[in-house]
Amino acid sequence: MIQLKDITKRYEINKNNTITALKDINLEIKEGELIVLKGASGSGKSTILSLIAGLSKPTSGEVVIDAKHISKLPDNFASIFRRDNIGFIFQKYNLIPNLSVEENILLPLIPLNLDTKVAELKLQKVMDKFEIIHKKNNIVKNLSGGEQQRVAIARANVNDPKIILADEPTANLDKKLSISFIEILKQMKSSNKTIIVATHDPLFFGLDFVDREIEISRGNII
Amino acid sequence: MLLNPEVLTLLILDFVFAFFGIIAFILSVKIFLKWDLSSTSESQYRLEKQAFLASTIIKYIFLIKVPLFLFFVFTLDKIADVLVGAMCGAGVVDASGYGIYLLLLKILNIYIFAFWLTLHFNDMKKEQQPYTRLKFGVFIPIFFLFMAELIVEYFMFSDIDIHQMVDCCGTLYSNSSASYISVLFKINTVFLVGLFYGTYIAMFLSYLYKKRYIFSVLNVLFLFISIVSLIMFFGTYIYELPTHHCPFCFLQKDYNYVGYLIYVLLFVGTFNGIVCMFLDRFKTSLYFNSLYVVLVSSYVVVYYLKNGVLL
Repeated sequence: MIQLKDITKRYEINKNNTITALKDINLEIKEGELIVLKGASGSGKSTILSLIAGLSKPTSGEVVIDAKHISKLPDNFASIFRRDNIGFIFQKYNLIPNLSVEENILLPLIPLNLDTKVAELKLQKVMDKFEIIHKKNNIVKNLSGGEQQRVAIARANVNDPKIILADEPTANLDKKLSISFIEILKQMKSSNKTIIVATHDPLFFGLDFVDREIEISRGNII
Repeated sequence: MLLNPEVLTLLILDFVFAFFGIIAFILSVKIFLKWDLSSTSESQYRLEKQAFLASTIIKYIFLIKVPLFLFFVFTLDKIADVLVGAMCGAGVVDASGYGIYLLLLKILNIYIFAFWLTLHFNDMKKEQQPYTRLKFGVFIPIFFLFMAELIVEYFMFSDIDIHQMVDCCGTLYSNSSASYISVLFKINTVFLVGLFYGTYIAMFLSYLYKKRYIFSVLNVLFLFISIVSLIMFFGTYIYELPTHHCPFCFLQKDYNYVGYLIYVLLFVGTFNGIVCMFLDRFKTSLYFNSLYVVLVSSYVVVYYLKNGVLL
């Protein structure tokens, strides 16, 4: 279970200028739920994702995942938690452009020092699942937007994390590819992962397999 | 003496350390007084960020200060060349009234700084960082010792007058010395060497029986006994001269800089032994202490094999 308790997050631009991204947010997300966080740009959706991932700390309040106090973890332990439990899909994919598809997908496994055979097995499985195996030796900068997104999804899943966070995953995709992404999302949901998608894409609204839609506006849950 | 390149290097570093040390001190006081890890308030999160900053500053100051002791010793040796009468660092230490206090303070501080670093690294290994408050609390008195060292260092180097003749180590470390060092010459050498090996064996036994407190106390004793026995007995075999007892000359090129190795082995070994009170460092301590014992003993053995007699 993911719990956000009395979360406030302010970004300090300079001494006299701060932006309040979240104001006293309380939220509980159960294991296996698929949540869509919707709201306009700057509403605080991405901030919620980065707090859950332990990428940033709240100004006040607490993030608890499976009884672990994520927001209180020192950076090195937050990294380990993220490595073991979280897969992140970014709006701009955040792939390394000069590496091949399989090298990009293998990246999260490097710090785990897995046996080569085990790593290969995980790689094959995830490339199969997200239908990118036929491009495995291609350099990612030569792929289309949709293919790059599949690589990013495969990379987020290669370590079989319990939680998948997707930040505006279809912002750079056309409608056809966005629908294809939604199909992949449905597939991920069936493997009992907790999935949180932050988006303002109307294609995600009213989907039958989404458990909850949460609207964020000016740092508040509506 | 302040314009000597090595002295200038030390003083500039001291100035930089003092600047950052003061920032770390202010933050440490704040953290020590207000730290509450269970709190999720804004001020606690701010303190956590400040704790990271302060511990990084202190860590890097101490990580540089500990090996910088060797550079300090090297500097003493180097400036001995320009002081009339000085043959090695011993003469330089004696050239100023602050010298001996600085040397003792530096030795005390490297143990204290190393202790703080050990505490910090153990704190960082655990998710709950259980020693955070303690390490910043401990830093508060350490800061004053640290600043005292920087101030005494400045006074010592500014106090040295290159036109004034100083005593050489042969006079300072002799029976006729007017200082406290002459007291050492009243100790029976056989008794001293027996005490040295006896303490080492007792340390080994306390390791076998895992008596951590006894092991720590024996390491403190071993440090003092080792330094005295080095001056009174083992040093004479390094110099191959029964009358030469200087603890500085073997830091020089003529003796292949072996003094640096001797002191590093002794300090690392005894430091790890002393912290056994809190942490399991038995093996590291015994490893370095054993190397020290083998190294200093080898000079006696080699001398005996070459000459068929002892000094």
